[in-house]
Amino acid sequence: MKLLSAVLLAVAAAAAVAATFLPLSELFIRLAPDQPQTAYVTTGWSTYFGQTKDEHGPLFAVPVVAAAVATLLGIRWRKVAYAGAASLAGVTGMLFVYLLNAISFHREGNITIDPGLEAGFGSGVWVLVTAVVVAFAGVLVHPDD
Amino acid sequence: MIGRATAVALVAAGVVLTATALVLPWYSTVYAGGVEVVVRAWGTEVVNKPGDWPAGDLSPWYGVPVVVTVALLVAGVWVRQAALAGSAAQVGAVAVIAALLVSERGHAVEQQGDFALGFGLVFLVAGTLVALVGAVAVQREAA
Repeated sequence: MKLLSAVLLAVAAAAAVAATFLPLSELFIRLAPDQPQTAYVTTGWSTYFGQTKDEHGPLFAVPVVAAAVATLLGIRWRKVAYAGAASLAGVTGMLFVYLLNAISFHREGNITIDPGLEAGFGSGVWVLVTAVVVAFAGVLVHPDD
Repeated sequence: MIGRATAVALVAAGVVLTATALVLPWYSTVYAGGVEVVVRAWGTEVVNKPGDWPAGDLSPWYGVPVVVTVALLVAGVWVRQAALAGSAAQVGAVAVIAALLVSERGHAVEQQGDFALGFGLVFLVAGTLVALVGAVAVQREAA
């Protein structure tokens, strides 16, 4: 069980860090009917509108990586793993609330410009949610109790 | 070594501070023309909203995850590990708000807006730290 727990916690931490490099939210919009789609993509490390980087884009990756490190340290201590998994859940929950609203804002604010726009969560969010589940699974089978 | 009674009192203090944070402004930015964007736990309020304000308000309910963490902290009175889960989750949630805060401040400065922290955020951070200390103490006392 010790090995299984270590593997699950390590996979959860790696998945959480990987999620920061994947899109968290995406908006694909045609700013004019004859133009190609422009992508507005937020990851844990940057926000881009087309080729333009938002210099003050939120660095969501920082709390994600911190929670992932705590989860990884939990391989040694069960309570640390538990706290790490919980903090990862807290990060994911708050991020979800923010992104849900940002996506709604993108859709409502731009629907008159391009009725065919696409706005939604990116794969990073689902990888993050999976990381939370795997982290708690690692806590459940952790033998250090 | 903090005793169980003190540890539980710290968690309770964290709950009260956090609950107070849920009704106070977290941060705000004042732009030209007196347009003020006030961020709270239950939505964003735009004071002196101009006619050309972008359609759709960016008004997330940051209070929802915080209410969940507070519920876990309260449950910690009966279930020791619930307080640890609640405080750790709250630390994670507040860290996301911190990332947003730095970003919002950067945008405000770029647009020559006047950025200000609200008491709500001060209470939220204080409540989170106090609850975390209490939850950890509960665990250590139990060990």
